[in-house]
Amino acid sequence: MAILAVEGISKSFGGLQVLQSASLEVAEGTITGLVGPNGSGKTTLLNTIYGLIKPDEGTVIFRGQKISGLAPYRIYDAGLAFSFQLPRLFFQLTVLDNLLLAARNQVGTSFSGALFRRRRWRRQEAELARKALQILELLGLVPLALHATGELSGGQRKLVEIGRALMSDPVMILLDEPAAGVNPVLGRKIYQKLRALRDQGLTFLIIEHKLEMLLDFADRIYMMDAGQVVLSGTPKEVIENPVFYATYVGETKNVTFPG
Amino acid sequence: MDLTVYLLDTLVFMGIFALLAMSLNVEYGFTGLGNFGKVAFFMAGAYTYAITAALGWPFYLCLVFAALVAGALGALISLPALRLREDYLAIVTLTFGEILRIIIKAEQGLAGGVWGITIPSAFAGLDLTPRMTAWANVVLVWVIVVGVFVFLQLLINTPYGRVLRGIREDDVAVQVLGKSFVLYKAQALMVGSAIAGVAGGLFAQYLRFIDPYMFLPLVTFLVWVMLILGGPANHWGALIGAVIVEFFNRGSRFLKDYLVLPFDPNNVQFIIFGLLIILLLLYRPYGLFREKPLRTGAEAEVLKWPSSP
Ligand SMILES: Nc1ncnc2c1ncn2[C@@H]1O[C@H](COP(=O)(O)OP(=O)(O)OP(=O)(O)O)[C@@H](O)[C@H]1O
Ligand SMILES: [Mg+2]
Repeated sequence: MAILAVEGISKSFGGLQVLQSASLEVAEGTITGLVGPNGSGKTTLLNTIYGLIKPDEGTVIFRGQKISGLAPYRIYDAGLAFSFQLPRLFFQLTVLDNLLLAARNQVGTSFSGALFRRRRWRRQEAELARKALQILELLGLVPLALHATGELSGGQRKLVEIGRALMSDPVMILLDEPAAGVNPVLGRKIYQKLRALRDQGLTFLIIEHKLEMLLDFADRIYMMDAGQVVLSGTPKEVIENPVFYATYVGETKNVTFPG
Repeated sequence: MDLTVYLLDTLVFMGIFALLAMSLNVEYGFTGLGNFGKVAFFMAGAYTYAITAALGWPFYLCLVFAALVAGALGALISLPALRLREDYLAIVTLTFGEILRIIIKAEQGLAGGVWGITIPSAFAGLDLTPRMTAWANVVLVWVIVVGVFVFLQLLINTPYGRVLRGIREDDVAVQVLGKSFVLYKAQALMVGSAIAGVAGGLFAQYLRFIDPYMFLPLVTFLVWVMLILGGPANHWGALIGAVIVEFFNRGSRFLKDYLVLPFDPNNVQFIIFGLLIILLLLYRPYGLFREKPLRTGAEAEVLKWPSSP
């Protein structure tokens, strides 16, 4: 059953029609890839799902609940997590604080909780810090945990962006090019982690230009072109489709299907 | 004037402005909200104190009520302002201060209008000498300064304070991570305004006379100078910034009274403040005191982590 259903989303900026009745479905417990040429509307679609952009038309249903029209923090409450294509970190805060800010159900983030439930939240902080450190371990960022994120390299910032999404214990995560700017070995490691999380029941919708990642790790792939979802199928089906070559890969048919 | 009383007077003003600087620090230093109408909430507190004291309320209740009224105004102003783009907050708060002042000026029946209003001293019944009254005021103001300082340290070094700082850096990202920034911004404005209200109450109590001309936008400007000089997002910075600026502010009046100079030191000080700000922004943009990393106990876990360096 689809955990996320995007139905007929249209969006135009001024005269530019960026999304044209885009629809897709993500099955629970899968890694679903979203590909398409630059500017085809992938990021806009993801932002619309997360309530960062208001669609002109269309609805988004998550776990049977209509989430289109909700503010992003409500969508977070519903169990979704989101990571930006271009990292939007808190640059004066440490890597650790960036992750901790993403955690769910914190006692100490409310005004009264912070003041009157100190013992509770201090214990929770220690637990959450250890959880954050596990994520940072995967991302190779433990040595930088107490550095301000403004001091990090571009790729490291991207990693923190992904780390924040993992930190919030979501049911489903929307990732916008998680491996972009990340070195190949680490990119692969991240995808292996995502697959392990999928095996535990998490669902992912991932925009990715690195085809080899999707071919290895995705259960299903959608392709967008000019604001429309034009193609979908298993990686094998998609890669054998001539439309996929014509609009996305190019002339050469030499993309290897690994594994 | 008695030199000791003069010094004690300076201490009282340092304390009152320290409260204002700390209140702006909650809003701007930690949450990134540019409140350019600080004087409005200061004035609201001062007039609330004046009116409730005239009703015969004990001074501590007057102060609490001053905080409540100013805090409520802070919440009120946050409603329209926080939904608009960032720069509108500056315009809305700035305008609010002037509007409030004009209303009070015009409403003769409320609190004396342009003629001002006199306020009974909190220590009236105690039959103190002027010097003892001055001491009592210093103690009253600084006990509250210390109380507010400790309260803010407790509030800021928490996951709550982390969210405020996050909002300062990128409020959309905070929203994406599940926290409604409107709520937090409104709370920050409320807390900041309530503290400014207490400062206003203390100001009224101390001077025992206030009129609308004491609440010009210049007060807001001074508070900003204090915070930028001391260092935003550091409560010590706000405190020390207020002490330094008030030292110059009062000192120049002192000079004027005791020395014959070819110029008015009161006017020269504003030139100095202007220069100071320019130099500071050029060479020490974070002020005298830097922001300290958050301490919630989480950072200690990093050092315990096996693979940490
Ligand atoms: N806020 C905006 N205002 C105007 N145009 C926009 C806005 N956001 C996106 N666009 C346009 O919408 C189109 C799609 O952008 P989008 O970021 O969704 O592409 P994408 O598929 O994610 O591309 P890429 O693979 O390069 O990341 C682009 O032409 C872009 O210029
Ligand atoms: Mg994109």
